[in-house]
Amino acid sequence: MTSISAKRGVPARRPRATVHRRTPGAWAVLVSLAVLAVVMLLPFVIITFNAFKSPADYSSHGPLSVPKGLYLQGIKDFWERVDFGAKLVNSLIISGSVAILAVILSVLNAYALGIGRIKGRVSILVLFLLANTVPQEVLVYPLYFLSKKVGLYDTRLSIIIIFTAIQTAFGTYLLSSVLSAFPREILEAARMDGAGRFRVLWRVVVPISRPTLGVLFVFFFIWTWNEFFLPMIFLISNENQTVPVALGVLQGQKLMDATMTSASALLGIIPAVVFFLIFQRTLTRGITVGAVK
Amino acid sequence: MFKATKALAALTAGMLALSACGGGGGGSSSKELKLWHYETQDSAMGVAWNQAIKEFEQTHPGVKVKFEEKGFEQIQKTAPMVLNSKDAPDILEYNKGNATAGLLSKQGLLTDISSEVTKRGWDKQLPAGVAETAKYDAKGVMGGDKWYGVPNYAEYLQVYYNKALFDKYGVKVPTTFDEFTKAMDTFAGKGVTPLANAGAEYPAQQYLYQLALSKADRPWVDRFERYTGKTDFHDQAWTYAATTFADWAKKGYVAKNSVGVKAEDAGTSFMSGKYPMFFSGSWWYGRFEKEIKNFQWDTFLWPGSKMTLGSSGNLWVVPKGSKNKDLAYDFINITMKKDIQNLLANNGGVPVAGDPAGVTDPKNKKLIQNYQTLAGNDGLGYYPDWPAPGYYDVLVAGTQKLINGTASPSSVLDGFAKPYNENLSNIGH
Repeated sequence: MTSISAKRGVPARRPRATVHRRTPGAWAVLVSLAVLAVVMLLPFVIITFNAFKSPADYSSHGPLSVPKGLYLQGIKDFWERVDFGAKLVNSLIISGSVAILAVILSVLNAYALGIGRIKGRVSILVLFLLANTVPQEVLVYPLYFLSKKVGLYDTRLSIIIIFTAIQTAFGTYLLSSVLSAFPREILEAARMDGAGRFRVLWRVVVPISRPTLGVLFVFFFIWTWNEFFLPMIFLISNENQTVPVALGVLQGQKLMDATMTSASALLGIIPAVVFFLIFQRTLTRGITVGAVK
Repeated sequence: MFKATKALAALTAGMLALSACGGGGGGSSSKELKLWHYETQDSAMGVAWNQAIKEFEQTHPGVKVKFEEKGFEQIQKTAPMVLNSKDAPDILEYNKGNATAGLLSKQGLLTDISSEVTKRGWDKQLPAGVAETAKYDAKGVMGGDKWYGVPNYAEYLQVYYNKALFDKYGVKVPTTFDEFTKAMDTFAGKGVTPLANAGAEYPAQQYLYQLALSKADRPWVDRFERYTGKTDFHDQAWTYAATTFADWAKKGYVAKNSVGVKAEDAGTSFMSGKYPMFFSGSWWYGRFEKEIKNFQWDTFLWPGSKMTLGSSGNLWVVPKGSKNKDLAYDFINITMKKDIQNLLANNGGVPVAGDPAGVTDPKNKKLIQNYQTLAGNDGLGYYPDWPAPGYYDVLVAGTQKLINGTASPSSVLDGFAKPYNENLSNIGH
């Protein structure tokens, strides 16, 4: 906190020029990375295989075999059965709203805690961290009674509010420590130029920490997208349900439809993967506040 | 890049506004029956109930059935909360048993439908062993005096066998327990594991409980399931079951490595023709019929036993907060009619009030005749995991020890007795 981590004029790290001759060490790293990649991708490959298998093919050849033909009925049936398009819209509304609101709130909180250095900020941060570690199961009943009292039970708004609070807790914690290392001379320069607190926030702090905010936005979106437990409890009408809750429809009491479950899993992860691919450049920019311009 | 962010921000902000005003649009008219169940569309129940919904709408002009398909998990986890809110459905399918429907009835979340049951004569259509799980007492224990639900279908266990493998090894369909053991010996002697098993889930405990049931009678089951008397886990039935099952594992009737296998895998390995026999429930029936293409198969009841595992299926229950109770009763009435019951049967289900004469497929007919034999003899012995919450996992752990041979049958039975008796003292029996 006392040292200024980002030095004036240091450009963002550029990719190193390609090294043409690899040392044995580099080869070892490459091979182990390749193995790791295969291990990571294997479940996706298996899901993809099973998504395109007919149930009879699955039953007679098992889950690991290569599909004998392209069977699209599973995906089509699942899409129609749960009205998947509507579920996508729900998930998009909820995750998008949560991501935007949580980033805004996190910035405001972190501005006060990290740059404003208000009194008792350490204890406040600890409180936020504690809020993060509370398991969702504990929250269920209090939230259920609260939302019933204010008439938000079974609305998308209830989930948006709950997850905005949950994600903001993490965002505040993270952003506060990032902003506490914010170059002081920039803030002083802005103040000398006559900028008020609000102006400093919007004209100086936010633009400079934009990559970090982008990362937070993407994380919040994907985390909220993948949430299952609370949305399942709160969104009881089918027309309010999110994608992961809709996938739960396929879990029977004693049986599971493995091919359709795979088809639905494939449909369920595609949006998150697409979102990640679109925003991956933001992600790679890292968590720290970049160079001073 | 930032253009994309901005566009997305604008998009989601717009959607936020949309969702904020979209919340209040649920003002439904009273002429709507909100119905939930969690059976898949192409299962026997799914098909039959779809037809029931159609008939209901025909006989009730102006009433729309608002059907929502749910996941089993979702209904299990959220039912107490949903039923306690104004968003409760008018009628829903719910799991039978003390820890599920019994608990909800005790909490006052379900409607006592006893008067409707007698008025409409559903009690006459249901055999005693099946009706047991629809009736609960004040403590929420099944077999009570008040009706809280109506089952449409039943389920029971039988041995599915692979005819091709039986022919190949010259094994005849066993009719007595000795023949059954001999058949398994033959397979094991040729290096074929005779029984498909799954130690990580329900199949293993069902083998064990079936062995106990073959030495048991109705009062024994009532003591164990309904706490009508003390259950001794070292009595003849339990001791026989545990020692025999441990012995089977030793002899290779069930595979040692089935300890970590799940029910789904046991079922699919039977379907792929790996095992000659699989003892499991009628819930597999429709799927086997549809998906086994490579060999002929058939079923027989566990040889030499009057009782076998089974019970009513899940129940139609009417929540306390249901706004259209009369419509809900009308719907139940339609599902109990002969044509819906037979439709259930023709799709591989086991109807509670079916008529074998109205069933076309000979195999399906046999499925129903077997059920009627069992129900007629009061031979449905329920399931071993019912008596106490969390008992399923206790049984899984115990049977895994038996298969592995890491604990003696006697100490495994001690392990079953402890949580069972703890639960008894908790509920004040």
